[in-house]
Amino acid sequence: MKRSKLWILMLVPTFALVFFVNLYPLVRGGVISFQRLTVFNLNNPRFIGWNNYRTILSDPAFPRLLWNTFVWIACSVTFQFLFGLILALLLAKPFFGRGLYMGLVFYPWALSGFAIGLLWSWLLNGQFGIVNDVLIRLGLLRTPIGFLSDERFAMFSVILVNVWYGIPFFAIMLLAAIQSIPNELYEAAQIDGAGFFRKLFSVTLPYIRPTIYSTVLLRIIWVMNFPDIIYGMTRGGPAGATNILSVQMINIVYYRNNFGLASALGMIITAILTIFAVIYLALLERGEFEL
Amino acid sequence: MKKKKVVGILRAIGLGIFLVVALFPLIWIFLTSIKPATEVYTFPVRYLPSRATFEAYRYLFSFARFNVYFKNSFVVATVSAGFSTFFSLMAGYVLTRERFRFRTFLILVLFFVQMLPTYLIMIPQFTMFSRLKLTNTLTSVIIIYTGFGSAFGTVMARAFLKNLPRTIEEAALIDGCNRLQVLFKVVIPLLLPGVGSIFSFCFVNSWNEVFTAVLFLHTDSKMTVPVALYSFVSKAGIQWNVMAAGIVVALLPTIVVFSLAQKYIVEGLTQGAIKA
Repeated sequence: MKRSKLWILMLVPTFALVFFVNLYPLVRGGVISFQRLTVFNLNNPRFIGWNNYRTILSDPAFPRLLWNTFVWIACSVTFQFLFGLILALLLAKPFFGRGLYMGLVFYPWALSGFAIGLLWSWLLNGQFGIVNDVLIRLGLLRTPIGFLSDERFAMFSVILVNVWYGIPFFAIMLLAAIQSIPNELYEAAQIDGAGFFRKLFSVTLPYIRPTIYSTVLLRIIWVMNFPDIIYGMTRGGPAGATNILSVQMINIVYYRNNFGLASALGMIITAILTIFAVIYLALLERGEFEL
Repeated sequence: MKKKKVVGILRAIGLGIFLVVALFPLIWIFLTSIKPATEVYTFPVRYLPSRATFEAYRYLFSFARFNVYFKNSFVVATVSAGFSTFFSLMAGYVLTRERFRFRTFLILVLFFVQMLPTYLIMIPQFTMFSRLKLTNTLTSVIIIYTGFGSAFGTVMARAFLKNLPRTIEEAALIDGCNRLQVLFKVVIPLLLPGVGSIFSFCFVNSWNEVFTAVLFLHTDSKMTVPVALYSFVSKAGIQWNVMAAGIVVALLPTIVVFSLAQKYIVEGLTQGAIKA
């Protein structure tokens, strides 16, 4: 009897915190999204029905916001996956110093996305940036490009940095999956005379398919909610060229101090997030990959 | 045989490219941070400084009070990671060993919370903490980071605990130890790498968090390093060598933690913890 009470107590700190710090605020955010609430009337909010949602959805810039978010997710995840897979394949066979090499190549994963955004905004600086300098020296450019100030290049630039940042995560996950492939499968393929690409498409990729599904899905959710790099580089600019849903929400909080409006956008983001989360959890249930 | 050699060379080139691409940005920001102010803004770019100087770092830690911000960040990250590790080991242990009715539901809740980004719920958190008169305190962000940390810490703890054979614990349970004693006397000593990786994971996440911190912490004495960097951007007249030094200071602790715990973090990541 005593024992059964104790294990319940052991769950309390985590779940009490998760409830008060994460779940309750999520519900509260739903309430705030129907209020007129700014920094200046924190203590007497006023209910205004669907007004905040109307403002968000009727904003002429909203379709572009959705499109930018889609481009940001699709391009980032695709190239993170491709380069991550290439790196994982290069690392699949042991070589001298592999442990050290992995430490050196994987480190961006632990870094602050915001600081990485700031860092790259210096490398891509339109006047004094090393990237422009190298491209000019190589004869690929005549005059420096405003990677972050030119609307045509800004989205490309932030995605480039996000790809750089995301390669390690994919490489780590895919490498672990590749290393769990039984060697006999490759030996059998070898006997059948399969070349590199044949082995890749007939053995490696089918075998690690569950990992690919779960990693890509998680990454989609995560990249959608990853305003850090963009915030370090452009804060959504120039002229909204890199503005995505999450960045816009933060801009509404920081610059317009309009908590109600930001919460309405937050609820829209939460709805999209929940759809992906349900897909993920449903796949888990079906045993497509393991919990 | 010849083909094998070609493949080997191609592989080495590929690995070399990835290494340079991964390391160059960090090296470059460090080089910028030790340049004299006059050599930062040149085009064509001057690659190596004529002399290495730490004036940017000196400026940071004296005029820009980075000593305070660094200390704040360190306190916030260490305390929240400590509590998160402690809480999540207990919860993770119970969730792997006890069978009860709402177990799956609780695990699903944790998975969902793990997917919630910090910025998404910072407004209601802000109104809640302002009612408690706790905004602009380190306590507030510590509590918030501990909430997030406990959620994904528990998921990580479960991943490690699932692989631990139960026979040893069962002996201790029969000897009359309760669950808590078994956890601390038997399980945790066997699980030190796992404990270390949960702690480092939470530390890194708290150290890096910027959006909640910017909203909550606005007086100079309460700012963390990311908040200070954020305020740099909007401040006119910040030199890029100083900015670069600030970035290096922001990145360094997580690089140290990563290099110490890399092996275990990678293990925890691939065994089912999902923060990407």
